Formats: sequence, C-alpha cells, structure tokens
Amino acid sequence: MTGMGFWRQAREIARKDLMVEGRAGEAMYITVPFGAVALMLIPLAIGTDKPLLARVGPGMFLAVSLLFGMLVAFRQTATDTQPQRELLMLLGTDAAAKFVGRSAASTLLLLIFELVLIPVTVLLYNPGRIDGWPWLVLVVVLLATGLSLVGTLAGTVTLGLKTRSTLTPLLVAPLSMPMLLAAGQIVESLRVERSIVVWVLLMVAINLAMSVIGVATAKPLEETAT
Amino acid sequence: MRRSGFALNIAAVAAIAIGFVSAVGAPSEQTQGDFARIMFVHVPSAWLAFLAFGLTLAGGVMWLMRKQERWDRLAAASAEVGVFFTALALLTGMIWGYPVWGTFWDWGDARMMSTAVMFFVYIGYLALRRSIPDRAIRARRSAILGIVAFVQVPLVYFSVNLFRTLHQGATFAGPDSPIDEGFVRPLLINLAAFTLVYAAFTMSRMRIGTIEDELDDVEALPDLELAGSGVTEPNLGRDFADE
Repeated sequence: MTGMGFWRQAREIARKDLMVEGRAGEAMYITVPFGAVALMLIPLAIGTDKPLLARVGPGMFLAVSLLFGMLVAFRQTATDTQPQRELLMLLGTDAAAKFVGRSAASTLLLLIFELVLIPVTVLLYNPGRIDGWPWLVLVVVLLATGLSLVGTLAGTVTLGLKTRSTLTPLLVAPLSMPMLLAAGQIVESLRVERSIVVWVLLMVAINLAMSVIGVATAKPLEETAT
Repeated sequence: MRRSGFALNIAAVAAIAIGFVSAVGAPSEQTQGDFARIMFVHVPSAWLAFLAFGLTLAGGVMWLMRKQERWDRLAAASAEVGVFFTALALLTGMIWGYPVWGTFWDWGDARMMSTAVMFFVYIGYLALRRSIPDRAIRARRSAILGIVAFVQVPLVYFSVNLFRTLHQGATFAGPDSPIDEGFVRPLLINLAAFTLVYAAFTMSRMRIGTIEDELDDVEALPDLELAGSGVTEPNLGRDFADE
C-alpha cells in the first residue's frame, strides 16, 4: 500500500471492511433487527398512549440509533486480528488512512441502520409531519458520522482488552451524548419552528473535533495494538 | 518526599478548618438564606474538577512527549481526584437546587447535563486504566483518551453562556460581579483550601501509584532460587534418638 495515496488507502480499507461485513452480516442481519425490536419494546413498557408515543417517537429513534449504532460501530467484523494488523503494517498502510477508511465504512453501515429504523419508527409511533423535515436528513448523516468516528476511536483504544465488549459502550455513550442532545434539540426546534443553526453547528464541530483527534492519534494508538 | 507530603496534608486539613470557619462566618444571603453557604463547597469543587481534568490532559500530553512514568501517574491521580470533585459538585448542586430551584435535577439544564456527561466520560477513563495491565500501553491509550475526554471541559464551562437554561451564567468573574464582598472572601479562602486538598489527594495518589508499580515489578520477577536454599533443616539429634 506504500505506492497508494492516503485517500486510496482509506478507500481500500473501507471496501475491505464492507466486504467482510457483507459476508458476515453482523450489523445488517443481527443489529438492525435488534434495534427494531427495541423500538417495539418501548411502547410495551410505557403504555399504548398514542399521543405520548407520537411525541416521544423521534427521541426514541435517536436513542436507539445511538445505543444500537454503537454495536454497529465496534462490530466484530471491523476488528482486525493480530496477523491482519501485522500484514497491514508490513504493507505500509497509513494508520490515519485506516482510521478514516474504517470510520467511512461504519458511517455507511450506520446510515443503512438508521434508514431501516426510520420507517419502523414512523409505523410504530406515528410522530406526524414535522415542518422542515429535509433537515432531518442532515441530522441522520451527522449522527451516523459522529457515532462512527467516536465508535472507531473507542474501538481502537480498547483493542485487545478482555473487557472490550463492556468498556467500549461506557466510553462511547457519554462521548456521544452531546450529539444526541443536539440531534434531539434539532427535532424539537423544527417542531416548534425555532432556529436550528446552533445545534447543527454543534454537531458539525463535534464531528470535526473527533476527525482531527482520530487522525492525529491513529499512529500512536496503532503502536499499542501490536 | 514523605515529609513534604505530611506537611501538605496538615496544611490541607488546617486550610479546610479555616475555610469552614469563614463559611460559617459569612453573612446569610438575602433570598436563599443559609442554603447559599453550600456554594462554598460547590463552586470550589467545580473549579477543581476543571483543574484536575486539565492536569490529566497535561500529564497525558507530557507522557506522549517524554515517556516518563511520573506524567502518567499525575494524569491518573488527577483524573481520580477530578471525578471525586465532579461528584461533589453535582451532589452539592442538587442539594442546593431543591430548596432554591424546587428541583434536584433539571433535564433541560445545560450545565447539569454537561457536567454529568463529563463525570461519566472520566469514569470511562478510569475504567480503561483498570482494564490494561501493561504500563506502557495503559499510559499511551489513556493519554489519548485523556485528550479526547478534555473536549467536554470547555463544553461544560461555556454551557452557561451558550445555552440560557436554569443554571446562572458566570457571576464571579469580572468587575461587574453581583456577588457581595462579604461572600467573595470566604469563597476565595475555600477555593484555596480545596486546592490544597486537591494537591494533597493527588500527591498521595501518585505515591500510591509509585508503590503499586514497584509491587508489580517485584511480582513480575521470575521465581529465583533463594540465596539460603543451600541451608538444610538442622539435625536435632533424631538420628541418635531412633537408635
């Protein structure tokens, strides 16, 4: 990979991750139905009050996207084994390109995850029409990107640890809360026709910060993974 | 080192006693009454949480640059003490909030929510440290997480300016501060006292960290034959007694 440019390396890593996921189907065939089941469980827990469900529907979608999206972001199929890591290092793969490629693959999977859950939420909760709903497309994209960046970073930090499966959500959930807050506020602001600029900017700023930190720390983190 | 640590502990205890007396002696607040005295614990706790997490960041960055274990110990100790002070700030804020705001917790308040998030981010930081036995890997990974986690600190600090919610904005800084002079002095005394407590806690935790590392080094040594293994059990005349 030494002959390849940065973006080509990132694209190849993303392609490899998506191919592995396509064969295993861990995110698409396990996590997506799991998320849909979670959306069904909530009305059973809080009661079938239709106005209440319509009110909480968008929030439930965001919460389920965050909690189950985490599972997509640090799925097993995105984890390299020791020989795979050594091979990529011998090929001269740029650690930052690996981070970018892996995050891009996770973003795409998270977008699919969210696109499946949106009609499920609409069918189960009937949240009604929200004016300015095209903005929600931006929210979904920013949420998927942010979550995949945080998830990839946390997945690298906890690589190889015995407590990985329990520790990673503990790291990802609080770091993702500002994004959830901003996304929730955008939905609410659209509902009451308030400005959403500050919240969109907050989501963009978090994504930018996570991208910079992820790229800058990719190399030192890779050194601890071997 | 041990003597200076002892002196710091004594100074911290004395400063807390002075801080307590000054807090009790402060005038009662016009509308909040004696509940306002909780601020003498709440405000210094919040400030020290920021300082502690700032030093966690600094320790992590210095470790990445210098690779000296003392920087990692500083980062770890400061994070632990920072979590303690964050919990104290949250708890005292809730106790004060109930009589003054009428609620322990307000979900819409930016400062409360962001502080709680910061608390859990650093709980995660400490959990990560406990999960990695290798010192060099632990130091490197937690240094990086310390950098990521610090993103929360300015978010918490500026949350009151960014979002106009229940928590009041910055009232202490600036010449137009609405705080009465009789209240400022005990607040500053308590801030100094809590800073000494922070320093004492952090230094003690760093010393414990050093001892833990030394213990790990000893336990990691291979089982060598003891120097005295050539000495056998003394013969107390049993051979003769058997005859």
